[in-house]
Amino acid sequence: MTTIFDSRIARWQTFNLPDDALADGFARRDAIAYEMAYRSFGPRMQATALRILRDVEAARECVHDVFEHLWRRRGSYSTTRGSLEAFLVTCARNAALTQLRASSRRQQTAQKLDAPDDYVMEEDPIEKERVARAVAQLTAGQADVVQLAYYRGMTLAEVAAELAIPIGTVKGRLSAALRALRRSLVLGETA
Amino acid sequence: MNADAHIGEAAELYAAGVLTTEESAAVEAHIARCPDCLRRVGEAEETVLELERVNVAPSAAARGSSLLPFERRGVASRWLAVAAAAAFIIGFILPHGAMQPNLATLAMVRSHFAHAQFSGAGPPAKVIYARDRSWYYIVIAGNYRYEVYGLRNGQATDLGTTQPKSQTSELFSPSSTPFDRVELRAAGKLLEAAAIR
Repeated sequence: MTTIFDSRIARWQTFNLPDDALADGFARRDAIAYEMAYRSFGPRMQATALRILRDVEAARECVHDVFEHLWRRRGSYSTTRGSLEAFLVTCARNAALTQLRASSRRQQTAQKLDAPDDYVMEEDPIEKERVARAVAQLTAGQADVVQLAYYRGMTLAEVAAELAIPIGTVKGRLSAALRALRRSLVLGETA
Repeated sequence: MNADAHIGEAAELYAAGVLTTEESAAVEAHIARCPDCLRRVGEAEETVLELERVNVAPSAAARGSSLLPFERRGVASRWLAVAAAAAFIIGFILPHGAMQPNLATLAMVRSHFAHAQFSGAGPPAKVIYARDRSWYYIVIAGNYRYEVYGLRNGQATDLGTTQPKSQTSELFSPSSTPFDRVELRAAGKLLEAAAIR
């Protein structure tokens, strides 16, 4: 059903609002900027949450709850932070991880994460190849930590136990890995 | 975490979602007052975004039905209440430079409009409005932050507050309500009104 609000948003969208203006409006907790951000970035946030939660309804709830939380909690985002889309996708991912870790279904879901064939997640083959190339440039230790902490959603303690290394080492490797991935994926630097 | 020290590697760990609730709260408290660490967290979030681009988002056609509507849990009503204060659109479009579109101008170019003069104790002011009543553009000579209300059959709707812009104060408000009167108020007190015909 098209609402009055929908038609209002549609009118604003015809003006091709620049990303920085949208981010600025979002930072100032502007209602229509929130709505436009939800419509623009919500699908990617949902895809991110879905990969972790493996449940479409839970992913939809997760994204909705993230926006509701940000709306209620002022000052979470400022343009100094950087990309609004990156901020929102990270929020969605972290919210999904928190939910996963708190869930009584965790063990079951973790098993699903261990068995990708159990759940079909649509992936972009070009992006997948690009990320795979970047991950391949990491050291073996960094790649292991990224695999367990980032992709399998393990806590630092779990990763440390799994790899039999100190938590401090896990932290250092994960931090270094993300900075290395930034150099290749964001800045386009090659090894 | 030392309040005076930078968060260091915790920036990436925070973005990766591996910190505890308490550790995350400490990071958030720190970056609220440290622009350097805020930027580092932002950079780590950009990396997360790149890693997540692998996941295919629902197609554009499916987006409308894929996302939950904000009507749930009463969120929409709060957002709409703020949205009614459409001063935002002036606020976040115009300050970004002369190349940004002026929504009021675009609206006038794209539709038939009429205008009415305000009368009362306030400064010279006009309301320009679409014939189909889809928007109202209030312009006041001078710098004033007046509350603007649209009235229909005596029922008032808060349209927002005028924003000072150089020599004038303005409010551009989209609306689907065919108001018969627009009022300017200061601290809730009526200053002047214009009849919409």
